[in-house]
Amino acid sequence: MIELQHVTKLYPASSRPALDDVSTEIDKGEFVFLIGSSGSGKSTFLRLLLKEDDPTKGNVIVNGKTLNTMNKWQVPKLRRTIGCVFQDFRLLRNRTVAQNVAFALEVINKPQRTIKRVVPEVLEMVGLEGKAARLPSELSGGEQQRVAIARAFVNRPLVLLADEPTGNLDPETSEGIMLLLERINRTGTTVVMATHDYHIVDSMRRRVIELNGGVLTRDQSRGVYGVGR
Amino acid sequence: MRVNFVLSEVATGLRRNLTMTVAMILTTAISLGLMGTGLLIAGMISDMKEIYYDKVQVSVFLADDVTDQQRSAIEQQLADSPEVATYIYESKDEAYARFQQQFSQQPELVQNTPPDALPESFRVELVNPERYEVIAAEFPNGQNGVDQVRDEGDFLDRLFSLLNGARNATIAVAVVQALAALLLISNTIQLAAFNRRNETNIMRLVGASRWYTQLPFILEAALAGLIGALLAIGGLVVTKILFVDKTLAGPIRAGIIPPVDWGAIAFISPVIAGAGVGLAAVAAYVTLRLYVRI
Repeated sequence: MIELQHVTKLYPASSRPALDDVSTEIDKGEFVFLIGSSGSGKSTFLRLLLKEDDPTKGNVIVNGKTLNTMNKWQVPKLRRTIGCVFQDFRLLRNRTVAQNVAFALEVINKPQRTIKRVVPEVLEMVGLEGKAARLPSELSGGEQQRVAIARAFVNRPLVLLADEPTGNLDPETSEGIMLLLERINRTGTTVVMATHDYHIVDSMRRRVIELNGGVLTRDQSRGVYGVGR
Repeated sequence: MRVNFVLSEVATGLRRNLTMTVAMILTTAISLGLMGTGLLIAGMISDMKEIYYDKVQVSVFLADDVTDQQRSAIEQQLADSPEVATYIYESKDEAYARFQQQFSQQPELVQNTPPDALPESFRVELVNPERYEVIAAEFPNGQNGVDQVRDEGDFLDRLFSLLNGARNATIAVAVVQALAALLLISNTIQLAAFNRRNETNIMRLVGASRWYTQLPFILEAALAGLIGALLAIGGLVVTKILFVDKTLAGPIRAGIIPPVDWGAIAFISPVIAGAGVGLAAVAAYVTLRLYVRI
């Protein structure tokens, strides 16, 4: 599903690589925590999977496609198979909840019929039925993140990438978000979540990939955040 | 392609940067208007060349005290000359009548000119217009009843070089304006892209195609270009009605200046519109390529 082969990423402005010879494999349907301190390379890892950046060395393979050799015009197609959720939600403030979710389908040219059908479905799944007509500013942080997850999941991606999705939320709200991500994972969607939140990592006991200064220092199934914690 | 979606994005974009949009439209309009004027002048020049060059090339003005004998000798010499294609005789009365007609818009000038002030003349068309010197040599000034031989072609050349200069200056200003318009379009599009960075970022992430993301911006510029072109065409129409048809009515009726007819404006309007829309769209596309990550 996802494979990194000896991936090194150097940014022009920095002498130290953001990722240093990282190799790993993530299977279909896995739930993976990507942990490490700020600047350890988590975001770079996710950016490479989206082909927002190209690796300096090595291969990145997503859904059976080697991204290094992929044509520019094929990138949108790749991204339609990947959903993204961020710490800051990234909702469009002048659109309602339903419009925010529908936007993701409209811009990839889905028929209006399909949109009318799947948007309420996915809103119900994330627990926002009845709030379709609200604006993001009228929602709590947790609800806004649910909208973002609905938007990421509405096109049924093979992979869901979450970059600190609970970073702005209190523990209870975070728990709700994690339950939702688990539920999405159970539909067969691979979930890769970058996080700092050791409570969550420790309580979920899923696979943990740890990066430290761009180097992969730990890859453990059913891991916890810190060794010896 | 979802037409409604794209169009509503375009409308939002134009409204959001209203002042920049207005500046972009006005600069484009001025540039295109000047370009149209240049094209019209160019058309006028070629019309005028047809009017003038085919007619008189050399005028042989006769002295006030010319005798009948001298006059018929000159006529005989013109009729016999192999250089002369045709010639006509214009009497003092005829010259005055033509003068009255030409300057009918300036009655003071006509009133202050006594009917016999204008000389009688032979108007000569040469076989080869370049051979003016030969004719001039045959009729030395101030002798045998000839007052002066004038190369009208020389005068026309100067007139046309003046008109060509006017045309070139107009087009040069149009080009400079076009450059300003292109830079403004580029800036407006950068601003528009910045204003809509949230939308375009999400579009990029969910896998919208490049066209889907860029098209609203390109259409936005093209629409501004079209509005600018329409204003420019409107400007030309108003100029024709208020300036050309009114102020220049006399010379046009006298046949000195060819009229600017609607056909000419109808002919250059699509050129102006095409140039406006095309240049704006290309400027927007290049801007998005160079400066904006989409």
